[in-house]
Amino acid sequence: MKLKKIFSFVAMGALAGTLFTGCGDKAQNDTDNIRIGMITTLNASEQKIDEILTLVEQRSNINLIKHTTTFYKNLPSLQMGLESGSVDEISTYECVANYLETRDPKFVTVENHGRNISDSFCFAIRKDNDLLKNSLNKALDTLKKNGTLDKLVKEYITDVTDKEPPAVDMPHFDGAETIKVAVTGDLPPLDLVLADGSPAGFNTALLAEIAKQLQRNIEIIDIDGDARAAALSSDRADVVFWAILPVDQEVPSDIDTPQGAVLSDPYFTDKIVHIRIKK
Amino acid sequence: MLETLEIIFIRDGAWLTILKGLWATVQISALSLLFGTLLGAIICSLRLSNFKPAELCAKIYVEIIRGSPVLMLLMLLFYGVFARTDFSPLTIAVITFSLHTAAYVAELLRSTFRTIDKGQVEAARTLGFSKWQAFRLIALPQIIFIAKPVYQSITINLIQWTSVVGYVSITDLTRVINNTAARTMQPMITIIGGIILYLALSNLVNVIFSWSNKKDLNGEAKTDERH
Repeated sequence: MKLKKIFSFVAMGALAGTLFTGCGDKAQNDTDNIRIGMITTLNASEQKIDEILTLVEQRSNINLIKHTTTFYKNLPSLQMGLESGSVDEISTYECVANYLETRDPKFVTVENHGRNISDSFCFAIRKDNDLLKNSLNKALDTLKKNGTLDKLVKEYITDVTDKEPPAVDMPHFDGAETIKVAVTGDLPPLDLVLADGSPAGFNTALLAEIAKQLQRNIEIIDIDGDARAAALSSDRADVVFWAILPVDQEVPSDIDTPQGAVLSDPYFTDKIVHIRIKK
Repeated sequence: MLETLEIIFIRDGAWLTILKGLWATVQISALSLLFGTLLGAIICSLRLSNFKPAELCAKIYVEIIRGSPVLMLLMLLFYGVFARTDFSPLTIAVITFSLHTAAYVAELLRSTFRTIDKGQVEAARTLGFSKWQAFRLIALPQIIFIAKPVYQSITINLIQWTSVVGYVSITDLTRVINNTAARTMQPMITIIGGIILYLALSNLVNVIFSWSNKKDLNGEAKTDERH
């Protein structure tokens, strides 16, 4: 009976070890081929995104990398893909890469493997809610002009340290209208949930400033990233965060925008970089 | 390593956030099991009734629910059917998982009921037992005894099914683990911690069922001694 238990324990350990180390050998032995992991988009097919990125890559001045792309659901699974050896590099935003590298020195940014492109961040609002879109654009414009946006970028993104980002005090206005905003908490330092369970990061800090500008209350709803479009279309949320794919003359910027939604003016742009594990 | 574990699971109230997530999982699972079992018993009785339309409705219900992914059902109810109501996300999650569990419980009870020797109930009836007494005293204890192992599996599966409630803005254990993994950038350790907590919950269910089985066997042994 004891032997059986020991055997079961060893077998379980071996199975777990196999799983966590990415099942041994690399899937492909082609040393020139780089396996890249990236977060999947919600509304554009993976094939379409791959075509667009290749197109953008061909026009950039970067030497072409022979690669295959694997799409992951969110940042933790993307990171696990890299750690397990399923991919050689992961493609993400520079601010996310910095956040990761300050917390775990085993990761390093790969020089010249980024596609020399940037994504812009904006709000997605229902098409029938023009009033809210205009209000948000107006507030963003004010925040850009009075330097608040730059201050937030510095505090939450540029000056990122290995300490937790500060908590955000959301203002409250008695009797004012409430805007429901969905956050996902899985893209630090832009969007994260602190240890005490409260939403934080650059996006939440920006929301607090917008609330002050609009004199409205903001209710933050923490949902899974895949449910953003459903939350918006069903009125569960009035605003969700969205990223605009590479903007190019022949690449439409709204390729990933959900039907029935419009995008606000971008409030932040970030370069896409590649990260790998230090050798 | 110890410091990493402390940052992930303890520091700045992380343990309390994890416990709150665990409590949300327990609440949804327990309430759904309760209502799902009651609804499942009703559906089972409809399925076994001689009234054909009721039997057909119950059959269609079970087919649809068992054939649909629970996440789709949850999204449909939260973002569609109940989108413009004041029902809380937790209530809608409990409704969804109760509907889902009911289909499985109904099928379990139906298949178990079929295994009961009808002669025993008929014999009880000839001895003067009412229909309800014959069911409660003769058939029901056997149904419970036979169905228990599968019901235990349904309970454990239910706990795992609830891990999708993050899609409807509920911060359950899985959601807390995902958020923590993203915040700390330590997904492997965080997820292993999450698995251990789910395992602990499943083991708690197993312990409760084992205790209940022992109680049943002790009860039987005492009855045999009396005879």
